[in-house]
Amino acid sequence: MTRFLQRLIAGARQAHSTELGSKGCVALAVLLASCGTVPPARQEGQIAASPPRYSLVFIIHGDGDYLYHDALGNARRADEDVLSRAQAIAERNPNAEVFIFHQIERRHVLFLIPRRDGRAYYYRHGHLREQKAYWRDQGDSRFDPEVRLYEQFAGTQPLPPVRLFFYFGHELPELNGAGYDASYSERRVSIHDLAEGVRAIAGESAKIDLLALATCFGGTPYTVGALAPHARYIVASPDNLHLSYFDLEPLAGLDFGSSDGDITAFANRFARNAFEQLARDVETVVSVVVYDVDAVSGFVDSVADAYARTVTAADGTIPAPIERCDCADEVTYTSPGMNDGLTVFYRAPRFGRMKNEPRHSGWECWRATK
Amino acid sequence: MFTKTVIRMLFVIGALGYAGVAMGQDDVHNYLNDTAIKVKATESPAEKREILSTSLGGMIKALDTVKSAPMTSDRDDAKLDRIQATLQEKSDELAGVNGFDRVPDDRLNAFSTYIVQDMEQADKTFTISLVTALLIVIIIILLV
Repeated sequence: MTRFLQRLIAGARQAHSTELGSKGCVALAVLLASCGTVPPARQEGQIAASPPRYSLVFIIHGDGDYLYHDALGNARRADEDVLSRAQAIAERNPNAEVFIFHQIERRHVLFLIPRRDGRAYYYRHGHLREQKAYWRDQGDSRFDPEVRLYEQFAGTQPLPPVRLFFYFGHELPELNGAGYDASYSERRVSIHDLAEGVRAIAGESAKIDLLALATCFGGTPYTVGALAPHARYIVASPDNLHLSYFDLEPLAGLDFGSSDGDITAFANRFARNAFEQLARDVETVVSVVVYDVDAVSGFVDSVADAYARTVTAADGTIPAPIERCDCADEVTYTSPGMNDGLTVFYRAPRFGRMKNEPRHSGWECWRATK
Repeated sequence: MFTKTVIRMLFVIGALGYAGVAMGQDDVHNYLNDTAIKVKATESPAEKREILSTSLGGMIKALDTVKSAPMTSDRDDAKLDRIQATLQEKSDELAGVNGFDRVPDDRLNAFSTYIVQDMEQADKTFTISLVTALLIVIIIILLV
């Protein structure tokens, strides 16, 4: 493009061109330059010198079965798809710093020598600044390696005013999460491990503005309650979530403030877009919910004991004598304020026993098997 | 000679262990996806229905065979029961029995996609043992 513009301008300056022609060429060159997507060098320098306004952290779990097929039947890896989309988002946000952690299956050279099973990417002002492979089994807590790298990349710079966190993976168990990581079959992982990681990344007494949990069954009182101390808004699915996950397009070119109104509006836009994209692409149930953490705390606290009793009673029993249900369908969990603080986007599956279910409360619970 | 044989055996066991579990789950997905592709490539609703019915029935029987093997654990059996029950529901809906409305002829393509997507949902915290995964792989190879 630059060469083309230079040639155009040079052509316009040739003395033997007609006056009209040269004026037209210069005007066209100026017009083309103004339509360019790449900021002029001076503007880019100004952006790079200013602190980022947004911080985005992506943790993408890929150490398990993440094969899915698109509508044409092409085999895809969900984690790799999300990684490339997150990287594209990082490059399209000149006002952000973006941390991407990809947790992959541990592989071995000649089946003997282990290779690093995590990949970290750090973008700042739209450019990849650091990239490194790391071990995922270092530290007491499951997300310790990611927290350490986050701190290393972020350094001592002031925190950006708007902070977003995204987790992509299978459902994080509420209890007894053995086998979550295919490479560490004995290691137990639960939602509390993620909550601990989010707490460390958010920092003491600070909160993530929006936390998106792109997993199945993230919208339970227990899971939302575990993450609530560290986030202002949570976007999650209370039911199954197809592996095409939440669409990331609303994250391109971020431009909103940190007020409650701004974050609420963005959370709703993000959730609605994810819902519409999934509803177009999948035949299974689609449910995406925005949880205003402060407003849902009353309901979460009120059902915490009943919920924990049901889950704990079934722990270790095979097969577990409990099943999932909409909390609104179980009298133990229903309460007048259970819809407070929720924005629910729901479409029933196109087939199956639930195909005629017109709505979902936005909360998923457990009940004893009938 | 003995040492060489042991090394070869270790290598084979390592290779199977490395790939086995992932293959077990991936092959189920691929098998159902191949079925959906065949359904969409067929014009006649009767043939579409036949392909789906045969595929679901074959997979249900395959899981029965795996469960009856003495090497599978109770935990694996419980997980296989869950998968089998899910597939049985799909088979019932296709036929319109056990309280389901029969899938209309003009919805069979979408239904084949639904089966693939439902089995690929992100609720995959369960894992099956290596032995069970390998049995599934072998039986699917025989089915195809």
